[in-house]
Amino acid sequence: MTKTFTQDDVVRYLYDDIPQTDRQEFEKALICDSELLDLFHELRATKRQLDNVQKEPGNHVVKNILDYSKTLNLHSVKK
Amino acid sequence: MISRNLSDSELVSLYRVGNEEAFEELVERHKSRVYTSIYLIVKDSYLAEDILQETFIKAVNTIKSGKYNEEGKFLPWIMRIAHNLSVDHFRKRKRFPVVVMEDGSQVLNSLDFADVPFETKHIQDEMHTKVRDLIQLLPENQKQVLIMRHYMGLSFQEIAENTDVSINTALGRMRYALINLRKQMKKYKIAYDQNFYPR
Repeated sequence: MTKTFTQDDVVRYLYDDIPQTDRQEFEKALICDSELLDLFHELRATKRQLDNVQKEPGNHVVKNILDYSKTLNLHSVKK
Repeated sequence: MISRNLSDSELVSLYRVGNEEAFEELVERHKSRVYTSIYLIVKDSYLAEDILQETFIKAVNTIKSGKYNEEGKFLPWIMRIAHNLSVDHFRKRKRFPVVVMEDGSQVLNSLDFADVPFETKHIQDEMHTKVRDLIQLLPENQKQVLIMRHYMGLSFQEIAENTDVSINTALGRMRYALINLRKQMKKYKIAYDQNFYPR
């Protein structure tokens, strides 16, 4: 019996949150169901935009964090 | 030199026995994701940097004092710290909103785009700023799921548990968040980013 997939399954697939057993069947369904495929393309494009808008903290912040860690290490060695 | 193929838990194990390079790799691997999640909650670049620092300092203290629970995963754990600190700060500051320019610390952040022409970089920056603004305009429950799934890396099951809703509700909110963002991106003509996806 062919499994029916919903729009929410598109989201699960996109975020790699779909059970491995359903994965291949879902991919087959995508080929046959143009509505599902259109939604997949739309959501994937949005997801990519979200990846692009990740912000980077300033280098000084990263340096502060790493310096703190090293300082704490020195203290524990001294003990 | 630390291999980039090591898992987070392997890096944490090395860090616990004093390998600072392992910690450096962990910070490098997750700083943007954690920082973006914080920023989307507090909406202030400078405050987000302070909270990022506070988050990793808490992580250092916990790991070095031997209190880190090895059964958990590093990213969801540090994201929880970041989320809690962000919400705390956000609650404190809510009554006194501070307006900060979006590009507050961009000069230091432009290294990744060093080979991109200035105008292209400027357009990209504007576009990315607009997308972040659009995320802020989403209904609160959709924004929450979007941040938790996309930036914090929680599974839909974990989101459902953390927000006291069914997994189907969490999935539905995520779907609506993505669809709403897509509509708004089209409305504002935010194009498919050819520089990142040349195909």
